[in-house]
Amino acid sequence: MSQDFEPRIVVFACNWCSYAALDLAGTSRMKYPPNFLVIRVMCSGRVDPQFILEAFRRGADGVLVAGCHPGDCHYIEGNIKALRRMTLLKKVLKEFGIEEERFRLEWISASEADKFVRVANEMLEEIKRLGPLRIEEAYQHG
Amino acid sequence: MSGEPRIGVYICHCGVNIAGSVNIKEVVEYVKNLPNVVEVRDYIFMCSAPGQEIIKEGIKKCGLNRVVVAACSPTMHEHTFRNVLAEAGLNPYLLEMVNIREQCSWVHSDNRQAATTKAKLLIKMAVAKASLLEPLKEITFKVNKNVLIIGGGVAGLSSARDLARKGFNVYLIEKKPVIGGNVARLGRLAHVELKGIDIVKELLHQVVDNPNIHILTNTELVSVGGSVGDFKVKLVKNPRYVNENCNLCSECVKVCPVEVSNEYEFGLSKRKAIYLPYRNAYPPIYVIDSENCTRCFECVKVCPTQAINLAEKPEEIEVEVGAIVIAAGHEPYEPLIGEFGYGVSSRVITLFQLERILDEDGPTKGRLEVNGVQPKDIVFITCVGSLNTTPNAYPYCSRMCCSSTIKNALIIKEKVPNANIYILHKDIRTYSRGDEQLYLKAGESLIRFARYREAPNVIVNPDESINVRFFEETIQEPVSIPADLVVLSVGMKPPRDIDKVRTIVKVGCGPEGFLREAHLKLRPVEAATDGVYLAGTVTGPKNIIESIEAGGAAASKVSTLLTREEVRIEPLIAVVNDEKCSGCLICVGICPYNAIKLRIQGDARVAEVDPALCKGCGACVASCPTGAMQQFGFKDNQLESQVLAAFTE
Repeated sequence: MSQDFEPRIVVFACNWCSYAALDLAGTSRMKYPPNFLVIRVMCSGRVDPQFILEAFRRGADGVLVAGCHPGDCHYIEGNIKALRRMTLLKKVLKEFGIEEERFRLEWISASEADKFVRVANEMLEEIKRLGPLRIEEAYQHG
Repeated sequence: MSGEPRIGVYICHCGVNIAGSVNIKEVVEYVKNLPNVVEVRDYIFMCSAPGQEIIKEGIKKCGLNRVVVAACSPTMHEHTFRNVLAEAGLNPYLLEMVNIREQCSWVHSDNRQAATTKAKLLIKMAVAKASLLEPLKEITFKVNKNVLIIGGGVAGLSSARDLARKGFNVYLIEKKPVIGGNVARLGRLAHVELKGIDIVKELLHQVVDNPNIHILTNTELVSVGGSVGDFKVKLVKNPRYVNENCNLCSECVKVCPVEVSNEYEFGLSKRKAIYLPYRNAYPPIYVIDSENCTRCFECVKVCPTQAINLAEKPEEIEVEVGAIVIAAGHEPYEPLIGEFGYGVSSRVITLFQLERILDEDGPTKGRLEVNGVQPKDIVFITCVGSLNTTPNAYPYCSRMCCSSTIKNALIIKEKVPNANIYILHKDIRTYSRGDEQLYLKAGESLIRFARYREAPNVIVNPDESINVRFFEETIQEPVSIPADLVVLSVGMKPPRDIDKVRTIVKVGCGPEGFLREAHLKLRPVEAATDGVYLAGTVTGPKNIIESIEAGGAAASKVSTLLTREEVRIEPLIAVVNDEKCSGCLICVGICPYNAIKLRIQGDARVAEVDPALCKGCGACVASCPTGAMQQFGFKDNQLESQVLAAFTE
């Protein structure tokens, strides 16, 4: 793979836990790769699988959906709804030939800035290893 | 007003916080060429008064109808900049903030080029979303001046007292037939010449005659609808079968043929199916336990005041309140059968059973007696149920047990001066005011303290004598102490059916099951759900002083809310496009707040969102197969535009 490949990864972060964790990473002056672009939603349960398919179609190399831990959802169980949808979505992505490492659903509480940093580093490393997502190719071979 | 988008982008340096890692000039040049952007300005502190002026000026001079502010996290200043828009005559929801500080400059300060590129992309995404923003109207509610307090212990009572004194109408509900909670059954308290029941009576005295307070015993929560300032609550008052005509003559008790263990005396005595839970219980009215009552009607026949009605049915009650205080308290940890010999020997009791035994109003009238004999060798074991002492124990410290153990040991010394008392502990935590002196006094009174690490072994011998064996940590030797009474200082645990209450009111809980505050340090008596407050041990172990303080603190927070005429909430809620809605009603099942109802329109059925109930999670939007359901501020096209902008060059 090309050494200068810089993946672009979209993060859907829930307002109450994961977005706050990303803010905490900043106020704690942690460092993580600059490849992650955050879209704020109120709850991970708001994330329509369509958005993720759209992101991959438009050129995202990876997508991360981050929500509160089960039992901690601000809206009782929106995260569990996200879990159900994303479990199905993973199967669909596989059908499209999109490697499973490119998509992750993670529970990141407001205090777990370090967890986000760990997840971001892992994801970036895996996606760099996979190389850019070529959706046309993936679709034909998948 | 929101026609063809004219967007102003305002980029904050935040001193060097942003400008130190992001090349602002380069970003400004880039943003100028983005679609619909008619003005781009940067300033050292956009949130300062001159910074706000720049935005207001831009809105007026350039005829802006959308504003993007690239600065800190929206949790920091979204509110500030919304106000700026409003002051300039623009709808405050036509603002989009870009987080280029917490989520860009601060985390990429080691890579200026990467930080600059990311800032450009994030602003581009926000500009795309801003073009699609719509003016929104805030939702306002008139604030109902009533309060519901769940739980009639000292925390709930002190909340009720403070709120009623301020003139608010209070509904205090208690699941049990008595008011006073755990404190009512404590014997003499430390530092004051009062018993637990005296504290409760004093609070009740300040409460019962207040016409603003409605005390409902035997009453449970059924459902809660609505939201902050405007809750609609359903309650059920279970039958007591005895009314206020009761004069406590006890004729009924004499004839009742049923005898069961009295749970209010922790099983130390028996009671009838018609009973008063303990002496001095409030309200002073007998109660019939319908589970054990055989419906023989003997009590009805002898009651001189015709106070008993066995046909009484549960009564549904509906109240409307502006705020809810949960003061549901705790339960003492109940040791397992066999844990430290509990349940195996009647000489092994809990601290709360000892409180009852030492209480002049208790089953032994205050005489220290076990099986009719006065014990002399007494061993207390602390941290039973707390600090992970045994596999079933909770990990936390229950705070009140050390001081309570020492207090009771000193009371025993008063009653039985030649008693040999050992207190086996992991650690003595007499943190509350005056408790350290109590600890010193115990030492002076020759009460012996010994430290264990591994849980002591309580051995019940065939002749019913007891030996407590443990490894003493200070002298580093195994020790065996003969005992004729072992007292287990049990801690606190969350009340049994707290999950039912918290699911109805929608409050989160921590790993042990205690309710969770909105913020552990900054908002200790508020729940994350607006309009819901938490008082007393329902959030974790507390002593009496702390519980009453928490009750007062919750009352103060409630009155801050209820003195307002109306509450405003962000209108970021779900809305249905009738024309697109196919009436499949998937959203109805998805909604955790029962906010979506079916409405018949012509010959079609469509979903309808109740704005008073919707909390704006957006789960229904993601589930809608036709795209009819949308969320203000987070519509499909708005979020998709962000995705799109991240990848198109």
